[in-house]
Amino acid sequence: MSFEPPLVRTAVQVNGFERKLEADARLTLLDALRDVIGLTGTKKGCDQGACGACTVLLEGRRVLSCLTLAAQCDGRQVTTIEALAGDDLHPLQAAFIRRDAFQCGFCTSGQIMSAVALLDEGRAGSDDEIREFMSGNLCRCGAYPNIVAAIRDVAGGRNHDA
Amino acid sequence: MTPEPRVIGLGLDRVDGPAKVTGAATYTMDVAVAGLLHAALVRSTFAIGTITSIETAQAAAAPGVVAVFTHHNAPRMKKPSWNLITPPPPVPLQDASVHHYGQYIAMVVAETPQQATAAAALIRVEHKAATASLSLDAPALKARSNPYFLDAKRGDVESALAAADITVDATFSTKANAHNPLGLFSTVAYWEGGRLVVHDSTQNPYLIRDSLAKVFSVSKDKVQVLVPYVGGAFGAGLRLWQHVILTAMAARAVGRPVKTVLTRPQMFTGIGHRPATIQRMRIGALRDGTITAIDHEATSTAAKVANVLYPVTLSTPATYRCDNVRGRDRQVRLDIPSPAHMRGPGEAEGNFALETALDEVAYAIGMDPIDLRMRNYAKVHPQTGLAWSSKALDECYRQGAERFGWADRTPRPRSMRDGHWLVGYGMAGVTYGHFQAKCHASLTVRDDGTVLVRSGATDIGQGTYTVITQVAADGLGLDPANVRFELGDTDLPRAPQAGGSGLATALSNAVRDATVNAIAALLSLASADHASPLHGCSARDVVVAGGRIHRKDDASRSETYGAILTRNGRSELTVQGSSAPSRAETGVLLGSLAVSRMGRAGRRLVEATHAIAPAGAFAAHFVEVRVDPLLGRLRVKRMVSAVDAGQVLNEKLARSQIVGGIVGGIGQALFEEITTDEGSGRVSNATLADYLVPVNADVPDIDVVFVGEPDSDNAVGVKGIGEIGLVGVAAAIGNAVHHATGKRLRSLPFTITELMD
Repeated sequence: MSFEPPLVRTAVQVNGFERKLEADARLTLLDALRDVIGLTGTKKGCDQGACGACTVLLEGRRVLSCLTLAAQCDGRQVTTIEALAGDDLHPLQAAFIRRDAFQCGFCTSGQIMSAVALLDEGRAGSDDEIREFMSGNLCRCGAYPNIVAAIRDVAGGRNHDA
Repeated sequence: MTPEPRVIGLGLDRVDGPAKVTGAATYTMDVAVAGLLHAALVRSTFAIGTITSIETAQAAAAPGVVAVFTHHNAPRMKKPSWNLITPPPPVPLQDASVHHYGQYIAMVVAETPQQATAAAALIRVEHKAATASLSLDAPALKARSNPYFLDAKRGDVESALAAADITVDATFSTKANAHNPLGLFSTVAYWEGGRLVVHDSTQNPYLIRDSLAKVFSVSKDKVQVLVPYVGGAFGAGLRLWQHVILTAMAARAVGRPVKTVLTRPQMFTGIGHRPATIQRMRIGALRDGTITAIDHEATSTAAKVANVLYPVTLSTPATYRCDNVRGRDRQVRLDIPSPAHMRGPGEAEGNFALETALDEVAYAIGMDPIDLRMRNYAKVHPQTGLAWSSKALDECYRQGAERFGWADRTPRPRSMRDGHWLVGYGMAGVTYGHFQAKCHASLTVRDDGTVLVRSGATDIGQGTYTVITQVAADGLGLDPANVRFELGDTDLPRAPQAGGSGLATALSNAVRDATVNAIAALLSLASADHASPLHGCSARDVVVAGGRIHRKDDASRSETYGAILTRNGRSELTVQGSSAPSRAETGVLLGSLAVSRMGRAGRRLVEATHAIAPAGAFAAHFVEVRVDPLLGRLRVKRMVSAVDAGQVLNEKLARSQIVGGIVGGIGQALFEEITTDEGSGRVSNATLADYLVPVNADVPDIDVVFVGEPDSDNAVGVKGIGEIGLVGVAAAIGNAVHHATGKRLRSLPFTITELMD
């Protein structure tokens, strides 16, 4: 028996632009971003909610876009890695480069989006706290100490400014 | 003119950094082309047997489905060429036989990934399964001895063991590990007329090109493989895999581009794994710490479908001065997916046995583990007696120990505590070879002073984009900002795989050669030119700096590359460069085998050549662990690693590469094990939630220091460091656990059960 999934109409605010989707109900936010909207900066590392590579911000909070259906995002704000940099790189992007916080770069979009949320959550108060609350983002190249250093740099700068 | 600081070695930021932090870097799975179809693969649910029926009508009729392939209708294809180190898999979907769990038995191609996946679930398979041999301890398995013809020996191990003051005789085991790069392996293939274009997650694009040309009976120049970025690979990308063949097959059959993205569970069966081993290590020593015998026997698993060169004991005879050494490999062929090389293949397992057993010797005779290693230090290549091309392992021990604070260690087990935590210090040494291959590069100097370097290599995260930019800038006296390096395309000059810790040596020397050739070509223009300040100069009369060629006899007389080109009516000039492994590399391998076969006579013969033994990198890892004896919790508290890396090409990236290897080693020691169901061979932990890899909270600060000098066996002085970070970590952690708890753990990964009091 073949199954014809219903089409679902959704209007998602992606990086400040409204994106109208008329799509397979099974479509995840991750596949919508990558395959339909064409924003491939968000990565698929497992499609099972276990690696963090697909982390994006939904209404400012970090979510796994592979476990979020596009249909759940109607009228909501999604922020991806592509929207972080303006004329200059976001401080976290710059810190990731300076601290060499990636190697293959595949997990990096997810790491940075997670770190953006981490700072907003106030979870970057110490190295141990950063390690703990960044542990949902796997990095198989093993850049963890440099990821901690990059986030510490930006968090320290924020504390300093305040 | 004061010499400018060399660009080689500087810790420059990655040149591909901006692309990677903005999401702009295009990995294989990101490739979109017009008319793209998506594939889903169906895998066998049993290990060995025959498909008796496969029902595809429902899948074929499902929405969006364009084609369904099984062994009934898949085009017949040719076998790729065999090779020893990275043999190809059987061509998929050619018959009804199944050789391992997870073998691809059907492929659905549809308009969207969701449609393909849903339709694949509608395929009904019936099969007849036979009894499978799935694990090393399966009964009635016959191990094959010396399967790679690389077993080595010297002296008389048995007599030396009998005469030793103390002997350690221990059995070690290591489990199958999955590479699990974060990037799901993907392939996009399309045919343009008779030409095949393939985007693939590979470390060896030329192997993929040549293999696919054979499979599809087209000439090699009709296949192009593109791989500008790879989402990690760790050895999984060194081979041609079946999904790559299937994707190109489907694209040809349906006449449209096809993309296959493996699922995470498929990554456990379709792209290799680190094989399991059982090893017996016997060491004999005198009371004064002289090691008199090392006998290392290792049995590892291999697939029946493809044999892979996977020696586990290969490094052992090259490690310590000992007069009586034997390394013997054995292989058990199983009904499992093919293993593949994984970061530090063989060495990561073999070193665990050797360096753990040495710690046992140190305790048996009451000697410090570093003193024991120094007493048996191999000042020359111990199997052949040839001089090393460079070796600073003694400095690794010394500087590593100092930075770590090894002197604070009280040797008695369970003698150091922090509250209820048992504290342990452990260390291990590493002697690591490398595998170099021929490499080519082109270099174009343009009249605007910029340089384009090109080679068909891959950067899987090790930093090739950046370090090769530096090598070219260094050779031409240019600001690295004026150099661009392109890679990942088989239409570029041929380069070897990113693997075997050999690419940095091969490629940096090829590019160095290209810079020398570029200067020579530019000088031949300028030298003959009366208007040039370089008139009459040859290469030895000049130096390059600041984007100019200067006369040595009068540094004020100089000319830019652009000026030379312009005056000669050229907009650009392109030269080639190449490198090849030194003859010494083959020499030391043959020499080792000669000593094995001919004993002392062989050794005298080899020594008389006065050749050198090309050294890979050396390292010493130092670890502090904390063990909670009640809960069995084990934490790696801090690590120091001292590495003799020869000429470091970029200190920042080299450090990252060592740290990354160490994190892999922490995984091997503490977490990683592929588990399978009995009978079916089903991988029972084939997700990243079940197969544990280190997360951020598992990894402490890691202090890396580089020691030693540029290697004398290649012009740039490089040694490969892609793997040495991982090797030795498991032994160092295990030795620290012994120090903390008094328990000697000989099986990887270490488990909570073993650690609880």
